Amino acid sequence: METAVMEPKGAAAEEKTDQRAGKYLTFQLGQEEFAIQVLKVREIMGVQEITAVPQTPGFVKGVINLRGKVIPVVDLRLKFGLPEAEYTQRTCIIVVQVSSGARGMLMGIVVDGVSEVLNLTAADIENTPDFGHGVTVPYLLGMAKTKGGVKILLDIDEVLSTQEVHGLEAVLRSADQ
Amino acid sequence: MPKKIDPAQQREKLHKKVQDLATQVVLADDLARPLQTLQEIAEHARRAGEEQLGAEAAALRTALAESMAREDYGAGDAWEQVSQGVLRLQQALEDADKPPALEAAGGGGGPTALAQDPELVRDFVVESREHLAAIEAHLLLLEQNPAHLEPIHSVFRGFHTIKGLAGFLEFGAIQEVAHEVETVLDLARNQRLEVTAEVIDLVLKGADYLKVALDQVDATLSGKPLKEFAPNQELVGLLRSLVSGGGPPAAPSQDQADAPAAAAPAAAAESATAPAESEIRTIKVDTAKLDHLVDMVGEMVIAQSLLRHDKSLAADRSPRLQRTLSLLSGITSDVQKTAMGLRMITVGHLFRRMGRLVRDLARKTGKQVELVTSGEDTELDRQIVEDLADPFMHMVRNSIDHGLETPEERVAAGKPPCGKISLEAQHQSGQIVIHIADDGRGLDREKILRRARERGLVGEGATLSEAEIFALIFEPGFSTAERVTEVSGRGVGMDVVRRNISKMRGKVEVASRRNQGTTFTLKLPLTLAIIDGLIVAVGAQRYIIPIYTVVEMLRPRREDVTFAPGQGEMVLVRGSLVPVIRLHERFGVEARARHPSEGLLVVAEQEGKRFAVLVDDFIGKQEVVIKSLGPMFRHVQGVAGGAILGDGRVGLILDLEGIFVWKEGR
Repeated sequence: METAVMEPKGAAAEEKTDQRAGKYLTFQLGQEEFAIQVLKVREIMGVQEITAVPQTPGFVKGVINLRGKVIPVVDLRLKFGLPEAEYTQRTCIIVVQVSSGARGMLMGIVVDGVSEVLNLTAADIENTPDFGHGVTVPYLLGMAKTKGGVKILLDIDEVLSTQEVHGLEAVLRSADQ
Repeated sequence: MPKKIDPAQQREKLHKKVQDLATQVVLADDLARPLQTLQEIAEHARRAGEEQLGAEAAALRTALAESMAREDYGAGDAWEQVSQGVLRLQQALEDADKPPALEAAGGGGGPTALAQDPELVRDFVVESREHLAAIEAHLLLLEQNPAHLEPIHSVFRGFHTIKGLAGFLEFGAIQEVAHEVETVLDLARNQRLEVTAEVIDLVLKGADYLKVALDQVDATLSGKPLKEFAPNQELVGLLRSLVSGGGPPAAPSQDQADAPAAAAPAAAAESATAPAESEIRTIKVDTAKLDHLVDMVGEMVIAQSLLRHDKSLAADRSPRLQRTLSLLSGITSDVQKTAMGLRMITVGHLFRRMGRLVRDLARKTGKQVELVTSGEDTELDRQIVEDLADPFMHMVRNSIDHGLETPEERVAAGKPPCGKISLEAQHQSGQIVIHIADDGRGLDREKILRRARERGLVGEGATLSEAEIFALIFEPGFSTAERVTEVSGRGVGMDVVRRNISKMRGKVEVASRRNQGTTFTLKLPLTLAIIDGLIVAVGAQRYIIPIYTVVEMLRPRREDVTFAPGQGEMVLVRGSLVPVIRLHERFGVEARARHPSEGLLVVAEQEGKRFAVLVDDFIGKQEVVIKSLGPMFRHVQGVAGGAILGDGRVGLILDLEGIFVWKEGR
C-alpha cells in the first residue's frame, strides 16, 4: 500500500494521489487535526453513555445503542496511545462504516471535536514523509496542507483493524513543524 | 446533447454525486440540496445504465419531497430519511461496481469458471434447493401411490427447472444429471416406465447428487474456488440403462434433441409460473431486512412502554389520552406479533425432511415403518427449525434403528408388523412442544441403570426415579456405539441432542414403557429473538440474566458462607454447598457488595453442577430483544449478547455457564 513512498513521482503515486482527493471530515485529537473520508462517515453524535464490555483492550470503550443497533465504540485517543482526556461538550462520537471481512460494520470513534468538511484536491495532498526508520504506517493515507494547517489523512479501516498502532509519534512531531 | 455517452465517465460522476449527498447529510443544513442532488444521481445513473440505482434515487427523492410537503414533518426526521437512503445508494453503487472485478478474477473456461453474476448463482442455489425439497416430498408421495400422476409431474417440473437454470449458468454436470432424471420421469409420466422402488431410489440418488453439487456451488459464493463436481458417469449410466430398458428409444432422443436448446427460456418461463402453484402468494425477502424490522419493532415496543409509564402522562386523567395510549399499546403488540411471525416457518418443513430419512432407514434396516405427522402447520422461528434438524435426525434414527423391532419380532410380540413413528407439534402456553414417539420395545431401565453404575454415573446405593434413569441416556459418554446396543440402543448422539436443544433454550424429556414404545418430548421457545431477562446491578453496571438459566435467587446469611482456602467461597443452599463466583471479579468492575451476605446470589446449573453468581442487587424483570455484539467481541467470555434496556442504554446479557467455566488469560 505504501509503495508510493519508494518512488513519489512515479505513475503509481500519481494515481494514488488522485484517488485520495475528495471530501474529508476533519476532527481534533490532542493538538492535531485529523481527517477521514466523508464517504466513511455515517453520522456524528454527542457522547452518550457507553456500556463497558469486559476483557477488551482499553481503547475499546464498549457499546452504544444506535437506534436499536448495538455498535462498538473505540476511543481514538487511547487507540493512538495519547493520554486519556475527560469527555466534554465538544467530544463527539463519529459513526463510521468500516469494511471488516466481506461485510461492512458500523463503529463509533470518540474524538475531541469535529471541525469541518474539506474538499481536498490532489495538489493539497502529500505522501507521508519517510522518517528513515523504515516503518511504514498502513493507516496513514497522507498529509494535506491547507490554510488551517496540516491535516493527517487517516485510512479509518486500517486504523480500526490494526491491533498495534505505532509510529504515530514521529508523524505527529513532523506535523508540528 | 450527444447520443453517445461514456458509461465509465457517468459512473465516475455518479460516485461524486453520491459522495456529495453524503456530505450534505453530515452537514445537514438545507434540505433543498439533497433534493437537487438526488435528481442528478437519478439522471447519471440512468445514463450509466444503472437502472436500479436510478430508480432508488428517484424513489428516495419522491419520498423526501412528500415528507417535506407534510406540515408535521421535522427536519431531523427528513435528514434521517436521507441518511438511510444514502446508505442504500452507497451499497447499490458498491454492488454495481463489483461484477466486473469478479469477472476479471474468474477467468478460464468450462464449468469451473464462475464468470457469472454472483447474484444469479445465489438465486440459482436458493431456487434449486427449494425445488429439491419439493421433489423429495413428492417422490415420497409417489412411492405410496405409484399410479398417481400429479406427483410425477411436479417432480418432472422441478428437475426441468433445475436443468434449465444449470444450463444457463453452465454447470454442465448438474445439467446432465437433471436431464437424465428428467428423461426417466418423462417415460414414467407417459406410462412407458413403471414406477418401482428402484426407479424412485435412482431419482432420489439424482436429487442427492444435485444437493451435493449445489453445496459446492454455494461454497464458491463465499469465495472458495469451485472444486470439480463429483463424477456423475455412474449415475448417468444407471439412469440411461433404466431408460433403454424401460421404454422405446424414440421418446428420450427426441427429448434430448430439443431440450438443451430450449432449456434457458423454458426454465425462465417455468420459474416465473412456479409460485402460482402454491395457494399462498409469497415474496422472497432478505433475512437481514427481516431482522432489522424485528429489531426496530423491538425498539418501538420499548418506546411505547416508556410512554406508558411516563409520570406526567399518567397524571393526565383525560379519558381521550388514556384511550389513545391503550390503542397505541394494542397496535404495538399486534405489530410485534406480526413482525415476529415473519420470521416463523412451519415445522412441516422439518417433518418432510424426516420422511426421507425414515424411508431410507427402513429400507436399510429391513424394518417396516410408517411415519405419522400432525401439527405440521405449527410455526416457529426459522432459526429454531434449522437448528432442530440435527437433533431430530438423531432421535428419529435412534427410534428406527434401536427402538423399533423387526417385523418378525413385532408379530411375535403381538403387534402389527409395521412399526410407527409419530411426529407431533403443538403450541402450549407460549412454548412449542414436539413429541417424537415410536411404538417399539421401549427403554430397558435395568440395563441403563446397570450401565450407569458401571460407569460410575450413579452411586451403588442411590435410588433413582424412572425419569432420572431415562435421563441418563443423555449423559455424554453414555453413547458410544458398543454400549448403545447393550442398553437397547438409546444413546447415539443423545448428549448432542440435549446440548443442541438446551442451546436453543429448550428442554428434552423422555418417557418410555416396555414393549409400548418411547416418546421424546421437546419443549422449545417460539423465538430466539426475545428472552425474559432479570436485570441485575453490579456497581454502576446493569446486566441481563436470561431467566431460563436461573434456578433460584437468594440473599445468604453471613454464617451460610464459608471460605475454602485455595478454592474460594461456598454457600449453603438447602443443605448443599454451592461455589460462589463473584461477577465483579470476573469482569473487573467495581461492586458495592463486598461479601455475599451484602449482595444477591443467582443460582444456576450447568451439566448438573450448581453454582452461585454474586451480584449487588436485583432491579427487575424485562423482556428484551437479543442483539449480537458483533465480531469485535467474539472472544468475550461470559457475555451472550446485548439488549437495549428501558432507558435506552445497552445492557450485556450474561452467559452464566461461560462465567462459571472461566478460562483465565484470554
